[in-house]
Amino acid sequence: MARESVWEKSRCEKMKGFSELFHDLDEMIKTGERITRMVKYFEDAHEEDASWASWFLAGNRIKGVVKTGQLREWASQRSGWPVWLIDECYERVGDLAETLSLLIGGNKEAAPTSLSEVVREILLPLAHADRSEKAESLKRAWDRLRPMDLLPFHKLLTGGFRIGVSRGNLCKALAEVGQVDPAIIAQRISGDWDPGIRKFEQIVGEERPEDSWCRPFPFCLASPLQKEPETLGDLNDWWVEWKWDGIRCQFLNEENGGLLWTRGDESVGESFPELLNLSPHLPAGLAIDGEILAWGPEGMRPFSRLQKRLGRKQPGPSILKKEPVRFMAYDLLRMEGVDMRTLPFLDRRKRLQSILEELPGGFPLQLSMPVESTDWEKLAKKREESRDRGVEGLMLKRRDSVYSTGRVKGDWYKWKVDPYVADMVVVGAQLGHGKRANIYSDYTLAVLDQQGEMVTVAKAYSGLSDVELKEVDRYVRKNVTGKFGPVRSVRPGIVFEVAFEGARSSGRHKSGIALRFPRIQRWRKDKKPEEVDTLENLLGYARMGERAREDGTKTDDAGNLLLF
Amino acid sequence: MDEPMIVRPEGLYCPAGGFFIDPRGRVDKALVTHAHSDHARPGHGKYLVSEGCLPLLKLRLGQKIQAEGIAYGKVCKIGDAHVSFHPAGHILGSSQIRVEVGGRVWVVSGDYKPQPDRSCEAFELVKCDVFVSECTFGLPVYRWQKEEIIHQQINAWWQENVEAGRPSMLFAYSLGKAQRLLRGLDSSIGPIFAHGAIHPFLPVYEKCGVVFPKVQKPKEGSGEWAGSMIVAPPAVEDAGWTRRFKGASRGFASGWMAVRGARRRRNLDRGFVLSDHADWSGLLEVIEGTGAECVKLTHGNGEPLARYLQERGVNASMLDGSGERMGEE
Repeated sequence: MARESVWEKSRCEKMKGFSELFHDLDEMIKTGERITRMVKYFEDAHEEDASWASWFLAGNRIKGVVKTGQLREWASQRSGWPVWLIDECYERVGDLAETLSLLIGGNKEAAPTSLSEVVREILLPLAHADRSEKAESLKRAWDRLRPMDLLPFHKLLTGGFRIGVSRGNLCKALAEVGQVDPAIIAQRISGDWDPGIRKFEQIVGEERPEDSWCRPFPFCLASPLQKEPETLGDLNDWWVEWKWDGIRCQFLNEENGGLLWTRGDESVGESFPELLNLSPHLPAGLAIDGEILAWGPEGMRPFSRLQKRLGRKQPGPSILKKEPVRFMAYDLLRMEGVDMRTLPFLDRRKRLQSILEELPGGFPLQLSMPVESTDWEKLAKKREESRDRGVEGLMLKRRDSVYSTGRVKGDWYKWKVDPYVADMVVVGAQLGHGKRANIYSDYTLAVLDQQGEMVTVAKAYSGLSDVELKEVDRYVRKNVTGKFGPVRSVRPGIVFEVAFEGARSSGRHKSGIALRFPRIQRWRKDKKPEEVDTLENLLGYARMGERAREDGTKTDDAGNLLLF
Repeated sequence: MDEPMIVRPEGLYCPAGGFFIDPRGRVDKALVTHAHSDHARPGHGKYLVSEGCLPLLKLRLGQKIQAEGIAYGKVCKIGDAHVSFHPAGHILGSSQIRVEVGGRVWVVSGDYKPQPDRSCEAFELVKCDVFVSECTFGLPVYRWQKEEIIHQQINAWWQENVEAGRPSMLFAYSLGKAQRLLRGLDSSIGPIFAHGAIHPFLPVYEKCGVVFPKVQKPKEGSGEWAGSMIVAPPAVEDAGWTRRFKGASRGFASGWMAVRGARRRRNLDRGFVLSDHADWSGLLEVIEGTGAECVKLTHGNGEPLARYLQERGVNASMLDGSGERMGEE
């Protein structure tokens, strides 16, 4: 620890600005170092800068500042390189903000500009400027920024601000600055807030009760069950529910209405007015954790039906009628403005139940019911019904568990059904981004159709070790057979075992099938390309998924899959 | 018109002189631009290199090879070809090879950099009709700073690590880059060590007037490494050899470090942008300076540079038979 502080001192005396923070965080590998570095920044920074820095580091962005196409064009004018050359550079670098920074260069003589100046004088006006004003003000920005400011500036401009600082670590740093509980910080930086208005003091200052009603709590996450369930001890200590296949959300209710927050910290209420309409019937100061599900008169529908409602703000009456949804509630986080999270799970559920029981019937809000079983073995049998029921498996929650922040091992487990697996051959590859820039790490995968032709069914880019990645990269470079934009077609030779959560028919894909969450599980070096799975097999999985949800639905008699 | 050089499966071949330049496979006569393993390959009958390159070549390929060294600028006749070697500024003894047959001149660059490097001979611009140019860093995102600035960055990083009580591990190719780095280290900061693969080349450099600080060999298990600088080839990056330097901050010096992804992928603490190849503007400047009417690009992902040169009216193309490659520096 003593070594750390000496080192910090020598660095930080020289460095106070946001650009310095950005580059340091970008270079640091160890989480502890990063947190210490952020604390130092927040302590030294001007209050307004600290507010904006918190907002950006929490993953927020100023929207509509500039289109990347325009940005490339102006960067081309500025640097003198043709746009196609800038695109070539982008392909090599794998990061547009970084590419532009390397090409533009910056003004070595410029004085440092503070983060809030950049936001107030450049970014916010840009969002409201017309095209030619944008070009002008961007040129001025490039004149006044130092070389080291360019990368963070372009990151703010293009939106993607990933430098390996998780929200949890940001909370830890802010919590240390304000000497407040990280959970409270997490709540304060969740959701939509304006750093131009909210003072840094309100982020790290002492908690006031009414602050919190309209902001979601950090979600409690379950760990995957990776051991025998018997090792969890007595089944009577556990509460078991189905693991619903929908969108995890917190339903918040305050005096002025309801709010729906997803795990991605998006407010999606506008897309689900029938859920917000519940607000007047529920007490204010309420927060419920649950899942939005596609739900017709026949019961639950597959996740793909829910996708028709996603991203569609203010849906019209016909889609509301055709694609109804329902909120499946399973936990109570706040009641009458009081944080319930430290109560045992069973107590929270009892309270949740009594609130929901007072609702009149016919509302699209219901309580997730327990899956009863007398022992683990019987429960394991029940779990096998998951696919037929259209759920992902079981949730196990310790009956006396508190609602913790993030993924805490030991209290909540998801006991999912095993994924489907199929062997697929790599037929295309693309350079990755970020850590995988300049490495062929995104793969197009194919199986065999009835004629024995290879047909593309999925793209996947995770699940390989660094060593394997390098090996595949070498193979790709030696076996390129064609170039389609950024994608290289590759001579078939590499076979992966690919896991996926489900399959559904899709008109958009040539193969007629789309896989859910495909990811590479392992490299089947023992298999040849002609030994991969068949399209028929995959279609079989799709049909299974469909059949599973048939109970009472109007399924096409011809066995036609094009239901959704 | 018959060109002085043509492409054969083994590499560039001069029919008038019966020799190859930097060939693969086994050939009778090989002219070699420099001693890196992707240019100087074993198994050829006879080697002709620059005088400075000769001892390095023998260290790499063995003392028994049949090899001759020739002074820079001295013209010799091989068959009907007039051949001379000219400094390429890449590493010690590295050459561009000029081949003239019947009044037509080709220059084969090998690897080169016009930027100053105090550990090797300065690059010399050679006029020619056809210029065969490397293009390892053929994109404008690659721009080098002066080597003094990078040496300062490395010494500052080392100083920080000394204050934090940890060793500094700097990875660099064992021939060329390692010597360039060692020359720039400030020995007042702490003791300097180099991996065994680097040491044999040091006396050769010293003979040519390159002055190094005191460089030691790290002995097995001799405990305390805090504050030391250890220079090692990237091949041992993940090997057991590095394990003894506990808690070391890890840096890598290479042109590839200009892009953050390259640094992050290797899980390095620091990347130093120091290359022994020409950067984008260096390539353009040299290509223009040669006055060549025809430019052939090799060693790299050269399509963007070729297209850029074509748009500026230069007859540029990829040299047939040269694939994608990321070589030594």
